[in-house]
Amino acid sequence: MTANTIGQNQSSLRLTTLKVLETLALLLIIAFIVLPILWLAITAIKPQEKAYSTTLIFSPTLENFEIIFSDTSVIINEGTDRERGEVGRNMFPSVVNSVVVSGATILIAIPLATLAAYAFSRYSFLGNSVLLVWILTTQFIPAIVVAIPFFTLFRSITLFGKPLLGTQMGLIIVNMSIVLPYAIWMIKGFVDALPGEIEEAAFVDGCNDFQILFFISLPLIRPGVLVASVFAFIMSWNEFLFALIIGREMRTMQVALMTTSGARGIMWEQMAAAGLVVMIPIFFLALFIRKNVVDGLTMGAVK
Amino acid sequence: MRKKRWVPWVLVGPALLIIVLTTIYPLLAALYFSFHKYKLRRPPQFAIQISENGIHIDWSLLSLDNYALAFSDSRFINSLQVTFWFTVISVALSVIIGLFIAVVVQKGGRLHTLTKVLLIFPFAVSPALKGYSWRFMLNENYGIYDLLIDQLIVGPINALLSLINNLPFVEIALISESIVWLGDKFWALFMLAMSETWGWAPLIALMFVGALGSIDEQIFEAARIDGANRLQIFFRVTLPLLRPVILIVTMLKTIFSLKMFDQVVTMTGGGPVRATQTINYYIHQIGFVRSLDIGYASAMSYILVVVLTICAALYVSLVLNRD
Repeated sequence: MTANTIGQNQSSLRLTTLKVLETLALLLIIAFIVLPILWLAITAIKPQEKAYSTTLIFSPTLENFEIIFSDTSVIINEGTDRERGEVGRNMFPSVVNSVVVSGATILIAIPLATLAAYAFSRYSFLGNSVLLVWILTTQFIPAIVVAIPFFTLFRSITLFGKPLLGTQMGLIIVNMSIVLPYAIWMIKGFVDALPGEIEEAAFVDGCNDFQILFFISLPLIRPGVLVASVFAFIMSWNEFLFALIIGREMRTMQVALMTTSGARGIMWEQMAAAGLVVMIPIFFLALFIRKNVVDGLTMGAVK
Repeated sequence: MRKKRWVPWVLVGPALLIIVLTTIYPLLAALYFSFHKYKLRRPPQFAIQISENGIHIDWSLLSLDNYALAFSDSRFINSLQVTFWFTVISVALSVIIGLFIAVVVQKGGRLHTLTKVLLIFPFAVSPALKGYSWRFMLNENYGIYDLLIDQLIVGPINALLSLINNLPFVEIALISESIVWLGDKFWALFMLAMSETWGWAPLIALMFVGALGSIDEQIFEAARIDGANRLQIFFRVTLPLLRPVILIVTMLKTIFSLKMFDQVVTMTGGGPVRATQTINYYIHQIGFVRSLDIGYASAMSYILVVVLTICAALYVSLVLNRD
């Protein structure tokens, strides 16, 4: 063997070692990311008597989903009484609350954010950039400081004879404080990316500002608006602090997770089942906007 | 091109109005509350009173007592320390692990691409659920993490230690395999930060992947031709080029860590013995669970606002200076 081939063998050996190390690192990363989610999914379909162990040998069941969506506090199943979480609350109303609150939040926030984003992108007006930066900084206000005054305010404001505290309406209002700034910045990014020539041409053809906006620009940025809507939906769906303080007895799913604790502590198999219900729809939505999440979270600061 | 001056204001107006109402109003109201004695159990007496005779201000009702109380309240000081350490640990772990993931997954075959897709998954898990799932997995009796840590980390280390202990005159204590993770002051805080890291490191990795992708490949090529090895390229080329993005991401994560609340409720409940009581959690306890003291809670949250304002200013200057 010449010195040259030994050198080659060494370098190919080094390359193989690197490849193996890289694959190991990848598998480690995958395990790190997937394990908590996988374990939740496994626990959700475990029968109760197997949930409190690390065993993987069990016969899958949908019993846990059945129990979190039932009204009875005890389900009698094959002779074993099953305790429910906190006084056996049916979680279905909480699913409805989450859907209504998150849905209404985006129905209000997205049209407003779209108009604002369009103006910020296409017009230069006094204070344009200062306002944009100010909107960016509102995301740094701690949620608790928003929650305190709205809690006291909503206690005293009544709507249809009921205080606003603990209603879907109340929660939708405070959700605006987190959803609107993100939505404006996100949609603005999409408008910025749209070439201005088309609008220019429409203007020359005699369209006025609003005709251009509604008939030319809006149809073109529809995909971006959809992405921002999904992002905003996820934000309000996963929101916890406002739901806890302002939503109160009107439990969203995030708060309903807490009702899985009963006399014997947290009923983990029920928590896991409820967790899956919370998580699965958001999974698909997150995959759908995968490429835009970073831009959304950082408001375009990292590019 | 278009001249009508009022048009942008019509478009921006509604959104701006709602943002002002949902952010400026509470900021002002909380500041006002913070100067008052204001507990939920009693109707509050406010300094500014409006009657038929006009506006009257009763200065004697305003005081800095709540702020003075904060700095003599050992539990508040404790919550500052907890928040500080939580932030340091979670930011450091998130950024370092995020960077590691980004460098590994950035280029390559199918497994790399699959991992890149998986990076979005923790974003779908709400912080509240994250807290519960980690609490479950860390359970000392049936938690999968507890089992894995004992088997894969503590076990081998102890095997090594007992091997060393066979040598004469050496006696090293073995690591306990029965650590109650969330019952130990240090480990509870550490694991809280780990759960935060689990949610954020993949997202931060995605941010770095984007930034790495925008670096000109020729720069790496040139370094390779000059004979730099992988480690040298990482430390001498990649890191310096990523510096602006790393700074921005670190600042952003710091802000999010300072605001963290959800997992404390669902994972540790502030325990053991207040070891994981962050500022947000303590404010929530004071304002809504224990003494229902809105005035004091407002004062404390204002101290948090001041800290976050400084961070926000730093962040904005970083972002603006980059372009």
